[in-house]
Amino acid sequence: MPFNTSQTGWRARIERRLTGAREFVDDTDPEALAVVTASMGALLTAFIGFLLASPWTAVPFGAFLLVTGYGWARHQALVARAISLAMTTVTLLTLGLIVVFIFAESIPAFRYETASVFGVSVPGAGMFTQARWDAVSDPVRYSLLPMIHGTVMVTTIATLVAAPLGVAAALFIAEIAPPRVRELVKPGIEILAGIPSIVYGFIGFTVINPWASGAFDLNGGSTYLFVGMVVGLMALPTVVSVAEDALTSVPDVMKDGSLALGATDWQSMTSITLPAAFSGVSAAVLLGVGRAIGETMAATVMLAGVPRISDPLVNVFYGYETLTSLIARGYGSANGVHESALFAAGVVLFVTVLCLSIGSQYIEARMRRRLGGAE
Amino acid sequence: MSQTDAAEPVANRTDGQGVSTTAGETVEETRPEWTSYEAGGETKFAVDDLDVHYGDDHALKGVSMDIPERSVTALIGPSGCGKSTFLRCLNRMNDRIRAASVDGTVELDGEDVYQDGVDLVELRKRVGMVFQSPNPFPKSIRENVSYGPRKHGDIETGLLARLTGRAEPDREEALVERSLERAALWEEVSDRLDDNALGLSGGQQQRLCIARCLAVDPEVILMDEPASALDPIATSKIEDLIEDLAQDYTVVVVTHSMQQAARVSDQTAVFLTGGELVEYDDTEKIFENPESQRVEDYISGKFG
Amino acid sequence: MSRATRTALVRDDRTLYEAVAGTAVGLSGVAFVVGLTALLGLVGIDDPVAGVGLSVALGALLLALGASVVGFGMASRFGFVDAAPQPSAGIVAAVAFTAIWGAVGAAASGAAGVGTGGRLALGAVLGGTAFAATAFPREDVGSTAPAGALAVLCGLSLLTGLIAPGWERALDGYNATLFGDTVVPAVVLFASLVTGWSAAKAYGGFGARGRNVGAYVLIYLVVGSILAVLVGLVAFVAAKGLPGLFNGFSLGGSGLVSWPFLTSGAGLTAEVAGVFPALLGTIWLVAGAVLFAVPTGVGAAVFLSEYAEQGRFTGAVEVATNGLWSTPSIVFGLFGAAFLIPRFGNQKSLIAGMLTLGFMLLPLVLITSREAILAVPDEYRDASAALGVSKWQTVRSVVLPAAIPGVTTGVILGVGRIAGETAPILLTMGGGVLPAKSAAPDVLGSFRLSASPPFVSNPSLLEATSALPYQLYALITAGLSGNIQNPQEYAWGLALTLLLVVLAFYAVGIATRYYFRRKLHQ
Repeated sequence: MPFNTSQTGWRARIERRLTGAREFVDDTDPEALAVVTASMGALLTAFIGFLLASPWTAVPFGAFLLVTGYGWARHQALVARAISLAMTTVTLLTLGLIVVFIFAESIPAFRYETASVFGVSVPGAGMFTQARWDAVSDPVRYSLLPMIHGTVMVTTIATLVAAPLGVAAALFIAEIAPPRVRELVKPGIEILAGIPSIVYGFIGFTVINPWASGAFDLNGGSTYLFVGMVVGLMALPTVVSVAEDALTSVPDVMKDGSLALGATDWQSMTSITLPAAFSGVSAAVLLGVGRAIGETMAATVMLAGVPRISDPLVNVFYGYETLTSLIARGYGSANGVHESALFAAGVVLFVTVLCLSIGSQYIEARMRRRLGGAE
Repeated sequence: MSQTDAAEPVANRTDGQGVSTTAGETVEETRPEWTSYEAGGETKFAVDDLDVHYGDDHALKGVSMDIPERSVTALIGPSGCGKSTFLRCLNRMNDRIRAASVDGTVELDGEDVYQDGVDLVELRKRVGMVFQSPNPFPKSIRENVSYGPRKHGDIETGLLARLTGRAEPDREEALVERSLERAALWEEVSDRLDDNALGLSGGQQQRLCIARCLAVDPEVILMDEPASALDPIATSKIEDLIEDLAQDYTVVVVTHSMQQAARVSDQTAVFLTGGELVEYDDTEKIFENPESQRVEDYISGKFG
Repeated sequence: MSRATRTALVRDDRTLYEAVAGTAVGLSGVAFVVGLTALLGLVGIDDPVAGVGLSVALGALLLALGASVVGFGMASRFGFVDAAPQPSAGIVAAVAFTAIWGAVGAAASGAAGVGTGGRLALGAVLGGTAFAATAFPREDVGSTAPAGALAVLCGLSLLTGLIAPGWERALDGYNATLFGDTVVPAVVLFASLVTGWSAAKAYGGFGARGRNVGAYVLIYLVVGSILAVLVGLVAFVAAKGLPGLFNGFSLGGSGLVSWPFLTSGAGLTAEVAGVFPALLGTIWLVAGAVLFAVPTGVGAAVFLSEYAEQGRFTGAVEVATNGLWSTPSIVFGLFGAAFLIPRFGNQKSLIAGMLTLGFMLLPLVLITSREAILAVPDEYRDASAALGVSKWQTVRSVVLPAAIPGVTTGVILGVGRIAGETAPILLTMGGGVLPAKSAAPDVLGSFRLSASPPFVSNPSLLEATSALPYQLYALITAGLSGNIQNPQEYAWGLALTLLLVVLAFYAVGIATRYYFRRKLHQ
């Protein structure tokens, strides 16, 4: 019975849509309709031509510009609506194309690294079940484990730096700072987000690495420790701004209630504001972790570029390679399966960070619902 | 509360002057001279010549009044007249607003609350506050009630207290029950103390906020339009509670409803636009035979 | 319910106690700053101070601080001052001191050459003692005794030379050695943090207020350090880069200003090697990305907030955009390499870089525009609709103008971010390490029409082009050497130029926001 209703509901909805569309067509000026159809058709053709790398792509694209220009002058409302829809599609298409292209390019590597797990041969399993990456000498193997280890090391240290400092700074901006100081600190932290990663990398390469090499008597100056700290500094602004948003979204009356009972500011923050904003603050930390995982240039110029797992595992005084630096360093000189393996590293990065992003959005949405119910 | 001995003559300015202030000109000369009204009983709060500015905005102008112990004092007036500002001076919640500057003295049992070195924790322990819209914490009912005592170290809970043998669950339990009973909420929630307080109805939430305030064992309870967000039944429950609390506590209640002020209060202070206290007297006197024409106009609905 | 005792609003006079505790907080701050300068190598730890080495002097300071912190606790415990301690220092302090003292025990026994078992045992014993000392006594003792003892221990080990400038210790199996030069400042930094916190609690009279003061001291320190790092970074790059940036700079002469670093290339013919090609490359890159991303992003935002039904579809688009926003830049690079390069002549090119950065900028423009459009109050739309104005007219003449401040700010800040991106253009745009002036892109002058498809071509767009961040990377991988006079100075000048370009976008973006906000409030 419920199945039946849902089915009829579904049908009714489609019918309603169809009727709506028919009415829309009937009500609209036929010329406007023709112009919009021609313009969208030309855009679609241009896109298909581009996908096929056809030299004729410029023709439909030019046609699109011409028709749209004409339509803009004559039937602006409808054309504007159609174009804004097309632009939404472009945005979604970008994500779709990223997924399709990097997955497609990574297939040869996954095929090459097929290994059997419990008697079933799984493509790509070899990337995670052994630890050898060597693209040159036999046996040529493309394990991602060393780079995953490097990424985990760097991200862990970066999170240890960015999470506590970021949350403390967010508390400061949202709850403690006098307005004048806040007006100074907030842009300051935003500017910290603006310093390009290659500048951090350059400082790391020319100043920190040589210093670390001398101060700890290392073989070379690359260490996960200092790369992690630099990356943590770069992830810090993300944590601060998202956590600050979460903290300021807690209704003031709640904190007032706590203060009026004689609790101090610090007690009100730790017992009322932080718990109420907990999900938002953890979403901030997750986003910061995502930033740290994806950070490329500082790691590339500061790390040694040797795909190897450090021994002992937690030795922060080695600095070999991360997923991002592997791609940045290797792309261009690699080809064939090797290049495909770099795309496989990209797939791992993309999927991990996308999961973190979706997870943090889910947490945030839940917090908004809960606080919304509280009001 | 007896106020029979409070019928001191109340000097007041002439009506003509009073009307002229609505235009906001002659503020200085129209300052009331009748601060001699003395309610019965011990004075809890003695406020003298209190001025509050929010930046350029003069929110409260030279207000002086004595608030007697164990009675209900109502502050009424049109919105924006400074009555909430006055209330928030009594427990220094105005400190939260950085642009606010306060002049004059507010004495609690003879101690100025605005002098240097005042411990705000101590002040707010003694002067509790209930807000306009119910604002329970997003925690369980039990935790809401025991929040204050926990923060002041009077009750210890949690892992460490249990480890070191200092936790007193029985004492906490007794305190929660006593406070909820006093706020007339115990019957309704005794079987779900661990439920989230946000699941209660508006009226229950407001009584929970009163219980939360009582758990700290205050001497004064300030209420900022405590029933404005509630339906009539919940409102009448709150009003009964206010009358009941006045036996043990000094209650100061801001309200925009004149009926409410007439029903629950022993004395009433009328603030009118511009942040000045126009008349302060026994509630009966204010509502039946006010000295000031402006107050009479306001009460009869002609003004404000 | 009458109260037996009525607590006074103002506590007994504690002026002296507060003054002493405040001094201790200040001295901890001094020790922290000195430790930091020593760690950065600005002062040596064996530099003489009042006849002894800095290390010994700092040891004495820590010892004094530790002793006074213990003293604060005792003074309160035995009732010499009127404080308001709670019955216990709390679970956070207890766990923290357990961890600290556990680590101290493990490290000390390790230094004494004890095996793993012995290390764990001593760590556990010290940690357990610290836990008991923190958790069981009243707060005034619990939060001072373990802290003071730690500072005393650190102070003694510096004072007696147990850890001294010449000290060194190899970390077995870790390929690293610890030297006194780094360990002494680290010890000072850590111990001064602990004493600073503890003394701040004493200053606040323990209890709720003491904790408030203690926590605020730490938070102010954190924020201060972040700002110091920011200022330090910018100042450092500026100091290093200014000589390069102003190499050959002169006022007057034929063209009023002669600034060769910004106006010439790095070829053999150039008198002063400059970054002109990369600078121009960055400008074109940003312009191309903006041209693609801003109309697309704003258009999509208009559709999503004005035309689409708010529901599952818009929710999904929002998740997708946020996902796109947090996608690592190197993944965009891979995508550009796989998708764009085969379609633009199979080589790294300016237009591939533009579009890749455009893809990166797109989600940011969409998110900020959507926020700005949603922030336009519905009353505006209703008022306009009530006058019988069509939907599109309303959007064009009411919604978009009201959303312009938000969109502008978002776009400027987003541009700042992509202007400094290296990873995507490394894979898609390339360029030379030290391009000559002739390698600068001439986009406007290179459009060609032809009779055969693709009919329009622009070789300049299809060439590998250098941009500031990429050139810096290329210089680093080339080992900071090259066919120019002073590669180091050149690289720092380049880094400063890049930083200034990006920070200029940020400064303009932030200023725009303040400008619009001020206008709104007037």
